[in-house]
This record gives sequence, structure tokens and C-alpha cells, in this order.
Amino acid sequence: MQVDFHGREITVKLVYYGPALSGKTTNLQAIHQLVTAETAGRLMTLETRDDRTLFFDLLPLTFSGGKNLQVRFKLFTVPGQVMHNATRRLVLQGADGTAFIADSQKTETKANQQAFLNMRENLSENGIDPDSHPVVIQFNKRDLPGVRTDAEIDRMASKGREPVFKAVAIRGVGVIETFLGLTELTWRHLEAKHQLHEKFGLEPEEFLSTVRERLGIGRAAE
Amino acid sequence: MTAPSTEAAGFDIALGDIADLSEVVDREALRDICRSFFDLFNLSVRIYAADDTLLASVSEPAELYTYLQKFPKGRKVVSETVDQVKRTRPTDSSVLRHQTIMGIVYDVVPITYQGRPVGRFVIGPFVPAELEQVPKALVRLDPNLDRLEVRDLLMKLPRVRANTAERITSHLRGVLDLLLFSSHRAHLTSEMHVASVRESYRELAEKTSKLQHAYDRLKELDQLKSNFLATVSHELRTPLTSIIGYSEMLEANIAGELTGEQREFVETIHQKGNQLLGLISSLLDLSKLEQGVMRLTLSDADPKAVIGDLASTFLPHAMKREIAIETACEEGLPTLRVDPLRLKQILSNLAENAIKFSADGGTVRFAARYTDWEDDADGAGAVLMGSSRGAVAFDVVDTGIGMRASELEKIFDAFYQVDGSATREHGGTGLGLSIVKRLVEAHGGNISVTSTYGEGTTFTVTIPEPEE
Ligand SMILES: Nc1ncnc2c1ncn2[C@@H]1O[C@H](COP(=O)(O)OP(=O)(O)OP(=O)(O)O)[C@@H](O)[C@H]1O
Ligand SMILES: Nc1nc2c(ncn2[C@@H]2O[C@H](COP(=O)(O)OP(=O)(O)O)[C@@H](O)[C@H]2O)c(=O)[nH]1
Ligand SMILES: [Mg+2]
Ligand SMILES: [Mg+2]
Repeated sequence: MQVDFHGREITVKLVYYGPALSGKTTNLQAIHQLVTAETAGRLMTLETRDDRTLFFDLLPLTFSGGKNLQVRFKLFTVPGQVMHNATRRLVLQGADGTAFIADSQKTETKANQQAFLNMRENLSENGIDPDSHPVVIQFNKRDLPGVRTDAEIDRMASKGREPVFKAVAIRGVGVIETFLGLTELTWRHLEAKHQLHEKFGLEPEEFLSTVRERLGIGRAAE
Repeated sequence: MTAPSTEAAGFDIALGDIADLSEVVDREALRDICRSFFDLFNLSVRIYAADDTLLASVSEPAELYTYLQKFPKGRKVVSETVDQVKRTRPTDSSVLRHQTIMGIVYDVVPITYQGRPVGRFVIGPFVPAELEQVPKALVRLDPNLDRLEVRDLLMKLPRVRANTAERITSHLRGVLDLLLFSSHRAHLTSEMHVASVRESYRELAEKTSKLQHAYDRLKELDQLKSNFLATVSHELRTPLTSIIGYSEMLEANIAGELTGEQREFVETIHQKGNQLLGLISSLLDLSKLEQGVMRLTLSDADPKAVIGDLASTFLPHAMKREIAIETACEEGLPTLRVDPLRLKQILSNLAENAIKFSADGGTVRFAARYTDWEDDADGAGAVLMGSSRGAVAFDVVDTGIGMRASELEKIFDAFYQVDGSATREHGGTGLGLSIVKRLVEAHGGNISVTSTYGEGTTFTVTIPEPEE
């Protein structure tokens, strides 16, 4: 997180991590489409000719925190291909929260596991404690055959501590929920660490509901 | 482990932000935009960075200002205007209109990027189209002002309608935003490129140093092993020499006449003792060679004599197995500078193998011939690097069991023997060739082998002639 007291601005960095082709870029594209231009800036993609992420994708979101305070979210994706580990580690630098995008297909189980361990390793190497770092997990591509059943995922999710979301990112399903889940988890973590409420008069629940409203999910829908 | 570093000044990979226009956008490009804007709308435009640096400007001096500057109050008003416009800074994302008493206005437009102010541009001076007549305040500046002149000059300034001004500024904003976006992307790409390469390099360097550490440790262990071997071999030799000595004395009946069976046992003790001594000497040689402390006592050696000596030594042994020994030696070979005992050890080991791995009734040939000395130089600059030295090649050729090609590179490793069953049949420890190879190298020579499985083997030891 970066705080600019002078400019009254808080910048939060969220990273979409996961194995190659699990749908990280698609998540950002969906958010970009679903959110109004007032909130979301241009989606920047740094990709190779074959559409694979080369360095990262970047989507800036801006929310008002009241009292002329601005809260900016910067959503990054990492390149999933194994060989780009140095880049992944760089992108993960200074991350405040991470959404791990898993591919639901059973054949991808191993790739998901490896990417998850790789994420924890790279967090550690960036001096971030992976055990206290806010992480949510998204099971993407629920529309495909050969995926784990909802029941299976729910059972496994109940054993873990990370909030789990199911999504069909190409249709925008579950994408906003994942982002909100991550934002809530991250914000509470930052609040506990930096007392944003005290310093900026930014009440956490109030802010989170502003975000929810701006993303078209009211309090009632909770 | 150290956290990855991002040293590029002013660039924050962690957030990929830009704080200032000038960080990413080429001034030349900004000037071109201002120029085309001016050509299109005939409006002066200036672009400032967040820190007030003027990045680009295309403007035409207003003739009215030139005229007004002839009068003290006029000069004051003009310079104040220019100053105030320069100091006008928008606080949010809306356009600020700077009004002057002359009726002239300027629009100060903030440039924001990803929700952040990164600079501003100023359009003007221009006159709102709605202005009907020359403002009184302007005329009253000085009693000597020529009203008509002032009016003409004011009307010469560009006149812009309010909604046109809005369209023009939003157009320029859009163009700048696009320019910023693509520049930012190019900027991030190149920064990421450099950072990724640096990060990969750091990772690699770290791994290399770990490997180097492990390698050093292994080398240390290897050294310890050699030391251990040398000590142990030495300590074993002393008592063993006594055992052999006493068994020799017993054989010589010094302690009284032995019965047939007693003699047989003592002879076995003597023979096995000698075998053990041979093994220990080999181990000692090997560890000395590995540590590079083997000393060579150099003297002159005549290749012809060497071959003759070798043949006569092995003749009795070969005759027992009905193996024929042939020798061939070219005339006029150069005298070599070698350690004669070690050279004999080399050739004896090869001869021993040749006989050991031949069937009864075979042929073993010892030969010496003159050959070119091939240096390591792989052809690059051979004309400069190669020497014109010659060498003597010693061949030990047999018609024995031979070896498969895949074995040839391994037989020079210590303790390597081609297969278990052969070991049992032929005995030995597999140290012979490893010592031979090291001894040859200690002489600055080299050893090679060619073999055909089931047909026979040729070992060639090449020793370069002494340098002039
Ligand atoms: N002339 C040869 N013909 C066929 N095989 C050979 C010949 N010389 C060496 N070898 C193979 O190479 C192996 C290694 O040879 P080396 O001289 O190092 O050991 P060794 O003769 O078995 O034992 P040591 O020499 O220690 O008594 C041998 O065991 C044998 O398998
Ligand atoms: N069927 C299906 N395909 C998806 C879904 N999400 C992403 N994809 C596809 O998966 C591929 C890789 O997605 P991308 O976002 O580029 O993956 P990334 O490497 O994680 O950034 C693309 O062809 C997407 O269209 C989904 O929910 N269902
Ligand atoms: Mg991608
Ligand atoms: Mg041998």
C-alpha cells in the first residue's frame, strides 16, 4: 500500500496470480467491462503476439473515500508460464492482497498446486509473510466439462482458511464477487495494520459498502 | 534471501505509477501535438509538468500585449496576467478559466492519469465570442491609449465560443490521455524488461554461488579422502612388509625345515601379502597423483631400450600362456626426458592388461614410432599456436577380448572394470589404468585407446620429445 498524505490518496495493490491460462487476464477484462468508466481506467495489457501475458496486465480502479480522499486500486496479473518466474516475483512486489485464479478442470490440478506453492515462495522472497497475506481463491472455468463438482470444492474449501469463489470469467460470472471478497479481506488486513480509520477517518464498513455500491452490489445483496 | 531490487530511478514497478508527464512522454511528441493543435484552431497552447516545468509551447505573440507594453500600467497588467496564468493550478479535474480585465481569458486544464494529476495545459489568450465591446477597464488603463487601435488588436485575437472551447479542450485532453497511455505502456514494458532480466540474473547468480559452494565443499572432501588414503596406505605398508619378510624367512627354512603342507601355506601367505602390497602401492600412487605431489625423477630414455626391456620382462609370463610377443621399433627415434621407472610402470600396466585379457595362444605387440605432437589447440590459430614438436608413440596391441565403444571412456576411472564376471575371472582392482593415465599426463603426454569387441585392443601412449 502506498499512502500520500499530502495528496490524500491511498493506493492498494492487488495481484491476480495463478497458472498459465487459468483466466487471470479474462478476470481483469470482465471487471473492466462491468465497471463504469468513472471507476475503471483503461486496461493495459503487456502481452506477446500470441496473446500470452508477457509481463502483466494492469487495471486501475478509483474510488472516493469521502472527505476528498481518493482510494486507488491497482489490479495486476502475472504471466503464468513457468519460465517467467522472475517477472512474477517482480509483479508480486508490494502486493497487499492476492486473488489466486485456479483452473477448475481436473487435469489442471497439478498446475494449480504448483502455481500456488510458487506464489507462496515468491511472497516470501519479497519479504511478505504468506501466512498472513490476504488471499482469496477463485475456481474459474466452471462451464467446462471435467471440472470438480461444487460439492467437492465446498468440502475442500471448508478445510482451508481462504475464501473460495466459483467463476466463469469469460461470462463475467463470479468475477465481481471475487474482487469484492479480495477487497474486503485486504481492507480489513490493512485497517488492522495501518489504522486507516484513525488516520484518514475512513470507516472500513462504510468504505466497503461504497465499493459494493459502485460495483452494483448493494448492501441488501450481501 | 534479499528482496528483489528495482533501482530505476523514479520508477515504481510495485505500482507501475507515473508521477509526472515528463517521465514517460517525449517532449518532441508533445511539441508536435501543440503545433498541430495550433494549426487547427489557431490557439496558443502550453503544456506544463506537475512540477511546473514548461514541456511544450506553441504560441504567437499577441499584438495587443505588444501595444499595451508601451504604457506603464499596460505593461503591469500584461506581466501580471502572464504571471497569474503560469501560477494557476487546478485542484481537481475541472477546467479553470482565468479572466483578465482586458476581457481576454485563458483555460487552464488539468491532465490526470489513472486518477492522478500529472500536469496541465493552458489554452489562450483568446476572447470569448460573447464579448461585445472593449471592456472599460482596458480602455481606462492609460489616457493616451488609442481606442480604435486597442479594439482592432483585441478583435485580432482568436474568438472562441464557450461550447467550442469545451470541445477543443476535451479533444486535447483525449489526445494527451491516449499519448500518455501508450507511452506509459511502452515505458512499463521496457522497464519490466530490464527489471526482469536483472532479476533473472540475480537469481542465476545466487544459484551459481550455491553450486560453487557445494563444489568447493566436495573438493574439500575429495582432498580429505586423498589424505586419508595416503595415511592409511602408508600405515598398512609397514606391518605388511614385516609379514612378507617373515614369510620369506620361513620359506628359506631359516626357522627350520618346513613340511610340504606348511611350505604351501607359507607360500600362499607370501603371495597374498605381495598382492596386498601391490594394491596398497597403487592406492598410494593414485592419491599422490591426485594431489599432484608425485615427483618425477627425469632422465634420458631410449625408446628402443624401453621396448626391449618391456619384452624381456613379460616374455616368461607370456610363454606360460603361449602368447607370442612381438616388438617393432622405428630407427632413429629421439631420446625422451622421462622418469624411466614410471614409464616402465605405465607400459607394464598396459602389457599386463594385454596379456590378462588375451586368450591363450594370442599375440601381444609392443611398438614405438615417431609421430607429430598434437597440442590441444583445436585448429584456431593453429599456425601460431601449434608447435612443430614430434613425439614417440608406444603401442601395446593385443588380440584379446576387446571392449565395446561405450566402455572406452570409463576404463580410466579408478576401480572401474568392464564387468563383474571378468573381474572374478581376471582379478585385479581396476586401479591400473587410472594410474597409467595420470602418470602419462604427469609426463605431459597423452593416452588413447581403440578396441574392437572380441578382436583386440590397442593402447597408445604418446610422449612428446623434449622442447629445443
Ligand atoms: N587390453 C585390454 N583388453 C580388454 N579389456 C581391457 C584391456 N585393458 C583394460 N581393459 C578393461 O579395463 C578395465 C580397467 O583396467 P585396469 O587396468 O584399470 O584394471 P584391472 O586390470 O582390472 O585391475 P588392476 O590393473 O588394478 O590390476 C579392466 O578391468 C578391463 O575390463
Ligand atoms: N471456458 C472458459 N474459458 C475461459 C474462462 N476464463 C478464461 N477462459 C479462457 O482461457 C484462456 C486463457 O485465459 P487468460 O485470461 O488469457 O489466462 P491467463 O493466462 O490466466 O491470463 C482464454 O482462451 C480464455 O478465453 C472460463 O470461465 N471458461
Ligand atoms: Mg494473462
Ligand atoms: Mg590392469
